[in-house]
Amino acid sequence: MFLLNAPIVATREVAPGMAVVSMEAPEIAASVRAGQFVNLGIAGPFLRRPFSVYRVDGESIEVVLKAVGVGTAELLGMRPGDLVSCLGPLGRGFDLEAGPRSAVLVSGGLGVAPMPLAAREARALGMRVTWVHGARSARELCSEAEGEEVIFATDDGSRGFAGTAVAAAPDGELVLACGPNRMLAAVAERWPEARVAVETYMGCGTGVCLGCAVPLKAGGYDRACKEGPVYRAAAVDWASLPSHLPYAVTA
Amino acid sequence: MTVDMSVSVGGLRLRGPVLAASGTFGYGTEVPLLERRALGGMVSKGIFLRPRAGTPPPRIVETPSGMLNAIGLQGPGADALIREYAPLWASWDFPVLVNINGESVGEYGELTSRLDGVPGVAGFEINISCPNVEQGGMYFGNDPHAAAAVTEAVRKRTRLPVWVKLTPMVSDIGVIARAVEAAGADALCAVNTFVGMSIDLNAHQPRLSFRTGGLSGPAIRPLAVHLAHQAARSVRIPVLGVGGIMRAEDALEFLVAGCTAVQVGTATFVNPRAIADIHDGIKAHLETHGFSSVADLPRYLPRD
Ligand SMILES: Cc1cc2nc3c(=O)[nH]c(=O)nc-3n(C[C@H](O)[C@H](O)[C@H](O)COP(=O)(O)OP(=O)(O)OC[C@H]3O[C@@H](n4cnc5c(N)ncnc54)[C@H](O)[C@@H]3O)c2cc1C
Ligand SMILES: Cc1cc2nc3c(=O)[nH]c(=O)nc-3n(C[C@H](O)[C@H](O)[C@H](O)COP(=O)(O)O)c2cc1C
Ligand code: FES
Repeated sequence: MFLLNAPIVATREVAPGMAVVSMEAPEIAASVRAGQFVNLGIAGPFLRRPFSVYRVDGESIEVVLKAVGVGTAELLGMRPGDLVSCLGPLGRGFDLEAGPRSAVLVSGGLGVAPMPLAAREARALGMRVTWVHGARSARELCSEAEGEEVIFATDDGSRGFAGTAVAAAPDGELVLACGPNRMLAAVAERWPEARVAVETYMGCGTGVCLGCAVPLKAGGYDRACKEGPVYRAAAVDWASLPSHLPYAVTA
Repeated sequence: MTVDMSVSVGGLRLRGPVLAASGTFGYGTEVPLLERRALGGMVSKGIFLRPRAGTPPPRIVETPSGMLNAIGLQGPGADALIREYAPLWASWDFPVLVNINGESVGEYGELTSRLDGVPGVAGFEINISCPNVEQGGMYFGNDPHAAAAVTEAVRKRTRLPVWVKLTPMVSDIGVIARAVEAAGADALCAVNTFVGMSIDLNAHQPRLSFRTGGLSGPAIRPLAVHLAHQAARSVRIPVLGVGGIMRAEDALEFLVAGCTAVQVGTATFVNPRAIADIHDGIKAHLETHGFSSVADLPRYLPRD
């Protein structure tokens, strides 16, 4: 785990209101794995804000976000050279290992966040990658995607499959998913063994506050920031995990 | 000039005046950026005799200059603490006090007996101030007789330092402070979190599943400085100041207001290096003003 003052390198738009912010964080870039996150200290909000690492480019890491509140608005308004306090890499990612021949990546809205890294790791392990990405409408689809096959799904049918990303996805030996918690609950129904990245409120991001409780099917809670944020879909008690956070980032 | 940063507080000699507050440092095992040289001591996450699951999410919510938490004292219970954490603490170069909790006076006593003498347990911080449990917790901290009864039950079962963590949710903290001093406490910690509430205007209901939570962070600092000061004026035993300390200046306010040492909680979430920064800042202040030790810092402590 590293704590760095990371200079912003660049920001690029990938959908209206949705942007990728890259920052120079060499130690994190060198060690982060798909599904892990960074906790960013931004002027404005009191607590840090967690973001999945979207891509790694040399000594820089990228995060993708929309403005949903003070912290995200602040981050999107930063200029190259401005400093962000960057803590990470945090949590347990998808932990991909060689074996499966195909991987299906399912993302909804901002759930694209961990997928480019996951696609790269899966491909490096010899898997054929299918990425299924869903959003409300064609405008809201992220313009970047990786994989041998990319399938789009929109709620209003304005592009690709008319319906949810879960419904549009083919089966695969390995399924990885990220999106609103209620979408992940649907993933758990269809593929209990899928690996899903969940979202909770976080206090510390490092395992000491117990604020990020994820209710488990087996009973009790563990920590999204430490044992998670990636879980076996069937392990989570979806009925007890809040599906509507006050900030509807991935909805 | 070298400044002596060590302090004597409630039966312990600490190498520095800054401790990690209960519930914000876990069991001290997952703090990779910790600079141990700066840590005077640590209070472990509040524990009950038996394992507890804690409250359902959402457990935390950000508020102006602070946060509410309702963790519900999730923890593995005394046996697991003794097995998994105490052996590690025994090898560390700073003392670890255990924050103890119970639903009854008898349960506090039993927990103390279980932990007393376990290598690695340097002392006890009695939590009579947790706002997030249905039974026990703050109830004991609200009533001088109950507070004294719990303190006595713990005192009788150990010769290790006994500190009592006070709740701010009282009309006169001096009454509780004097009651636990008379019951044998070696030091007081002032204060725990304030009870608060935050409403989600989309769902039209409280944001926390527990409805209410404990408010911490800079939002409570002036309230906490005042309460720690009031407690310090009321007793002869040392007081550790807690509440909203983010920087060295904040810690110095508590010290000047009459505290012997301080605990830092929420700041660690924002800045994982907060404790070291605060320790170094206190040292720099003492140097600048020509004081040779923490004890030399002037205290504003008029006696009633
Ligand atoms: C592991 C993980 C990975 C994530 N990855 C991404 C990502 O890649 N891209 C992305 O856009 N988002 C991601 N998120 C969500 C992101 O962290 C939130 O969008 C962000 O915290 C919102 O901050 P804000 O200041 O913009 O909004 P706020 O103004 O803070 O949000 C609105 C409301 O949410 C509450 N709130 C926000 N954060 C917290 C908190 N930590 N604790 C308690 N209450 C809070 C506020 O009180 C407010 O009422 C991720 C979350 C997690 C847990
Ligand atoms: C997430 C969290 C968990 C806490 N858990 C405990 C606990 O188990 N026992 C206890 O006595 N105090 C607990 N506290 C209170 C802190 O130790 C401290 O008294 C309070 O947060 C005020 O200090 P601060 O503003 O520096 O955080 C907790 C605080 C937070 C934020
Ligand atoms: S956010 Fe603090 S334990 Fe996970």
